[in-house]
Amino acid sequence: MAETIDYLQFILAPQALNGLSLGVAVVLMALGLTIIFGLLDVINMAHGEFYAMGAFLALSLAGLGVGFWALLVLVPLLMIPIGWAAERWLIQRVFHSRDRHILTLLLTFGLGMILEDVLKLAYGPNTMRPETPIAGGTEILGMFLPNYRLFLIGFGLALIAAVWVVVFRTRLGAMVRAAAFDKDMASSLGVPVRRVYAGTFAFGVALAGLSGVLLAPIYSVFPTMGRDFILMAFTVVIVGGMGSIQGAVVAGLLLTQVQAISSLYISPVWSDPLVFGIMVLVLMVRPRGLFGRLGNA
Amino acid sequence: MLTIENLHAHYGLSHVLQGVSLHGGPGEVVGLFGRNGVGKTTILKTIAGWVPATSGSVRLDGADLAGRTPDAIARLGLGLVPEDRRIFPGLSVEENLRLGLLQCPARSRRENEAAIGRAFARFPRLAERRHQMGTTLSGGEQQMLAMARVMVGTAKLLLIDEPTEGLAPMIVDEIFAIIGDLKRAGLTILLVEQNIHRALDVADRFYAVERGRVTLEGDAASPKDRARLMETVSV
Ligand SMILES: Nc1ncnc2c1ncn2[C@@H]1O[C@H](COP(=O)(O)OP(=O)(O)OP(=O)(O)O)[C@@H](O)[C@H]1O
Ligand SMILES: [Mg+2]
Repeated sequence: MAETIDYLQFILAPQALNGLSLGVAVVLMALGLTIIFGLLDVINMAHGEFYAMGAFLALSLAGLGVGFWALLVLVPLLMIPIGWAAERWLIQRVFHSRDRHILTLLLTFGLGMILEDVLKLAYGPNTMRPETPIAGGTEILGMFLPNYRLFLIGFGLALIAAVWVVVFRTRLGAMVRAAAFDKDMASSLGVPVRRVYAGTFAFGVALAGLSGVLLAPIYSVFPTMGRDFILMAFTVVIVGGMGSIQGAVVAGLLLTQVQAISSLYISPVWSDPLVFGIMVLVLMVRPRGLFGRLGNA
Repeated sequence: MLTIENLHAHYGLSHVLQGVSLHGGPGEVVGLFGRNGVGKTTILKTIAGWVPATSGSVRLDGADLAGRTPDAIARLGLGLVPEDRRIFPGLSVEENLRLGLLQCPARSRRENEAAIGRAFARFPRLAERRHQMGTTLSGGEQQMLAMARVMVGTAKLLLIDEPTEGLAPMIVDEIFAIIGDLKRAGLTILLVEQNIHRALDVADRFYAVERGRVTLEGDAASPKDRARLMETVSV
């Protein structure tokens, strides 16, 4: 009995909390991806590089003496015009053509490669590790937890809740959902669809950048850092249902828990196959993922 | 109010509107009749900016609509009640209704709330169901919502496409009553309707459309014009 409690307290619970701190960041990435897909029908292949860009921006600005708290505001604010410009000048160029699914996929894929190389040229291929912005740890129920991870969990969950409120409880969110379902009708009611598209893309990109800021102190910073992470985010979006906000949250938290807990029992080498196996299983039972798309009932 | 001159529009290679000219004066209800597939809906879609005109002009209150986006056209005072109503499924009745306020971003919050209040007073069934998802409403209620959605805004010109299609006779009466109210409120209305007799009772004038062209213009009150219309649209 005592052994069971010890096991829960000292092995399972800390691992679950580690998983949760990664999970909230994955959810933030997946939210950006899924909102962009739900509204614009665009699979943003450059999302991982926007995440890396956020991390590097944070690194550079920190080098200039900007504090961590300011970075949390400044980096997403700087990412917004970048995302806006990418939507206006690149996506919109091919958005109205007939092969726009394939064209936007290739376009954002190419954009991602360019961004990655730009980061390599600017910063070199090596790994950098920012200092932990919040040092120390806290003992909770006999477990010792790094403060930064606790902050990450709290901040991430609050941000996810804020995104949810904006999308489902505000007039702006109603405009986004209406445009996602029927852009012509929304437009004829006065929804400025072009601005909503660019704004939503920019918002998704800003969320990716913010995830970069948040995860940099844990996973270190290098130009290809987006690659591993984006696979997880895509898996989350597919399992949760492409374009679904609830899906991104549920699948993001669930899959990162599976990864965290399973790594206690099996070699971490197997945790990716396990996660992708779950994706395949979900798709066999529910080809559209767990939840419905943004704008649909 | 609305002036269309020699309007052409294409879907890909098919030349759907082949030189449509028509007009609607202030406060006038204009019927648009014709058999299936002649291009009535396409005329409305071209006015609203969904389908680009390949040539010709559409003017709303003197403003040329060419090249404007549907939301810009909406803000100029166009309200659209489309075929199939197009209520947004993931939005509640009230959220659907409130989207109609986007037509007039400059209007004060108080005036907006007053407009929502009037709409709910006019349609108590929508008020009762305001928190339900829009698409859980019955067909008739969805049509009311589509009408209410343009009534909360500041439309001067309404395009209404087959509002009574598939609805029970009692609801059809209600819809024509609403159109009568809107007419008395001074709106210009372009009404596409299969129920020609009922539509002519509320209309001032009408046009008959055949294969992408207007082939007849008439006075809704004139028995002679009505008779010619029935010849044109009967199969
Ligand atoms: N999106 C589209 N793409 C291609 N052709 C279309 C499209 N929409 C309509 N058409 C064609 O254009 C023609 C005009 O269609 P439209 O919907 O304007 O007719 P309508 O007069 O409104 O007919 P109905 O009485 O059936 O509503 C039809 O032949 C139709 O098949
Ligand atoms: Mg039609």
